[in-house]
Amino acid sequence: MTAGGDRSGPSIRTLAAAVAFDVNRTVGGGHASIELLRRTFTSRGWLDADSHGLIVAVSRLTPGTNILAYCVTLGWRYHGWPGALTALVAASVPASLIVFLLTATLAQVDRYAVVRALLAVGVLAAGVLVLASAWALIRPYLVRSARVRALLISAVAAGLIALDATPVRVLLVAALIGLLMPPGAARR
Amino acid sequence: MSLVIVYLLLLKATATSFAGMGSLPQIRQDFVETYRFLSDDQLSQAVLVGRATPGPMGAYVVAVGYFAVGWPGAVAGWLAMISPAVLAIPLLAAIQRWLHLARMRAAIDAVVIASAALLVAAGVRLLIDGFQQLARLFF
Repeated sequence: MTAGGDRSGPSIRTLAAAVAFDVNRTVGGGHASIELLRRTFTSRGWLDADSHGLIVAVSRLTPGTNILAYCVTLGWRYHGWPGALTALVAASVPASLIVFLLTATLAQVDRYAVVRALLAVGVLAAGVLVLASAWALIRPYLVRSARVRALLISAVAAGLIALDATPVRVLLVAALIGLLMPPGAARR
Repeated sequence: MSLVIVYLLLLKATATSFAGMGSLPQIRQDFVETYRFLSDDQLSQAVLVGRATPGPMGAYVVAVGYFAVGWPGAVAGWLAMISPAVLAIPLLAAIQRWLHLARMRAAIDAVVIASAALLVAAGVRLLIDGFQQLARLFF
């Protein structure tokens, strides 16, 4: 994957529209937005599972907000730095404007029961999307030749999560396991 | 209060965290306890607005900046939120340089698998949170 290397992808305008639409319509964090982006880009043939997995890995290892790093990498893939910056602005400006307006007007967004109910349903929907995203990531690794290794890494990660390890530590331990595994066994 | 200082403090918090709300402890330390740019109530309201708004959870730093120094602070918050994301490009370039090596490929695969485990934990937390919110409304 190189900067602007994938000419079969969206135009910069389509990229901006897709990112703005998918990122700014979920509550509960960026993981749900990543799943929406994955669905949009794979359904149109712009993104394959391997590239998605690589972008997720990079975005999780990048400091700051994961979804923004995901969008930057996605934009860079198709249009280099202009695409990266366009995707970054498209992902961050709409939500930031809403936050600014709500804060400036000191809106008590949770004052009304119907608003709280809608937010709760939104959080539930985000939870389902996040679980779907996890399944989409792990599924390619559940082929017979790599299943044991995937389950081993998942078990170690789950144990670390249960021990309240930070996500970065979980990822670094997983990377270490990956490095130490014999390369032949590591291939999917 | 200098706008640059607000930006740098917010950047310190966002650049040393690895999730949208991961910056909250550092922001509370700097803005509420050390410099007293805002109160605990204002920080809570910023978090609430951030959670209720569609999009990145990290967007709550826009509200933090606004409470600290008004609309220029909101812009500083937005800049602090997006700045670390550009690090993804050199990180990706560094990873790709070594991606042809089987061990690097295996390490990235392991990170992707661990990401899936982290997502399961996050998804389950969201489902529990959503059900609890509904339960509080109806019972």
